[in-house]
Amino acid sequence: MKDVFIAGAALYQAGRHYGKNIDDMAAEVLDKALTDAKADIDALFVASSTTELANKQQLLGAYILESLGLDKIPVYRVENGDGSGGAAVALAYHALRSEEHNCVAVVGVDKPNDVLSNQQQDIYATTLDTYFERYFGFTPLSYAALMAKMYLKKYEYKYEDLARWAVLMHSHGVGNPYAYFRRQVKLEDAVNSELVSEPLRLYDVGPLADGAAAVVLCNDKKEGPRILSIATSTNAMAFSSRPEYDVLYSLNEAARRAFEKAKITPRDIATAEVHDSFSIFGVLAVESLGLVKRGGALAAIKDGDLPVNLSGGFKSRGNILGATGVYQIVEVAWQLTGREFKRVDGNYGVVHSMGGVDKISTVVVVGI
Amino acid sequence: MRHESVPIYWRNIPHYYRLVARRCKKCGAVYFPPVVRCRCGSRELENVELPHEGRLIEYTVLHQVGTDFLKQKPLIIGLVELSNGVRVTGQIVDAQPDKLTPGTKMEVVFRRVIVDGRHGLVMYGYKFRPVGGI
Repeated sequence: MKDVFIAGAALYQAGRHYGKNIDDMAAEVLDKALTDAKADIDALFVASSTTELANKQQLLGAYILESLGLDKIPVYRVENGDGSGGAAVALAYHALRSEEHNCVAVVGVDKPNDVLSNQQQDIYATTLDTYFERYFGFTPLSYAALMAKMYLKKYEYKYEDLARWAVLMHSHGVGNPYAYFRRQVKLEDAVNSELVSEPLRLYDVGPLADGAAAVVLCNDKKEGPRILSIATSTNAMAFSSRPEYDVLYSLNEAARRAFEKAKITPRDIATAEVHDSFSIFGVLAVESLGLVKRGGALAAIKDGDLPVNLSGGFKSRGNILGATGVYQIVEVAWQLTGREFKRVDGNYGVVHSMGGVDKISTVVVVGI
Repeated sequence: MRHESVPIYWRNIPHYYRLVARRCKKCGAVYFPPVVRCRCGSRELENVELPHEGRLIEYTVLHQVGTDFLKQKPLIIGLVELSNGVRVTGQIVDAQPDKLTPGTKMEVVFRRVIVDGRHGLVMYGYKFRPVGGI
């Protein structure tokens, strides 16, 4: 099977883009990625979590292509909640590996700011079981809070230890020109921020942002960043019946498979972008990926830097829902090659894209 | 979310009102939310009502809520282990959050969950409260 190369990419500044329709925003970033790749594509994969609910649009891919006047290209929409981006890249990768296509693009896009913040809560809550969880008023935040509370107790951390995650993310995000909040924050700002679902505070929550990211993947190249492996796994247990609350099962399995296929270990990783929609998920992701031992992530942060989420993660770059996984892949590829970001010292990077509260995780290993 | 669906609500009433779960006839595993196939492989499952008493495992107080819960916020969200070992998440009512601790004895109560202001639809379901009140 042929290798899959990242031939071109583009990112849209994460933020509040009240002046743009969702199809045009995606079209602009796709156009830039195609120009960057100097390649024609023979299929398009569109990752979006909430385009029907927030932007009142189905068949989004057709309207993105209409905006660019690109006829006859097959287009597929992928929805895996806030993990849509990783899933779309996985499908694109398989399409290239099978040689059904030679060059494809993945565009991830979401515009949560087309609706009010309480409506965003309604929409984000549809990633939970709509009949047994969302119905009763639960949101992903409330589950993250329960997991955080149990984690802090089990490993005897103070809240202040968890708040360091946000500080670390913001210190990384300063180096990302596409980040939503590109500034440093102090530990006291995080610790004193508004309580949103105790123990979690406002700084534990990645702000929802509008954004779009595109990547062009080809199987007929010889050099440049390469996708070494991809694996996706689902955790089919209800939140209430999980044996443990301090591990991400979907990630554990996806990471095991992805590292095995790439023939590397977590020790080889120079940069990782993980799904930290809430600080605790970032902490658990670092551990479930195998970068740090279980219960050790917050101690590691206290002791020094962790080469995780150099983009600033969901807290600083922003939570762009279904587009985030595509952002993460571009970020890791650019960190490995020193484009737009400071070049990392190493040849391998990894992406964790997750839908819901540990429902579906995709792990992508990128190498140069 | 505005305009909740009457058919969705109606068909879930047994679960919402009486905590009807699914039990595997072969291995006895109980599922709530209900499932179609047991992890043991069996597709023979029967309805069973869950007990109405249990103990609190953990809880949080949620301040950021969706549009249906603005008048009820903050919500106390709890994870409860029922007396038969089945765990259920639910809202906790009639309680002062700072007095709740893991292990607190809980019981099921029947309460209003959502009121759709536009169509006047009132939807009900189970919630939990500490036994004896705190």
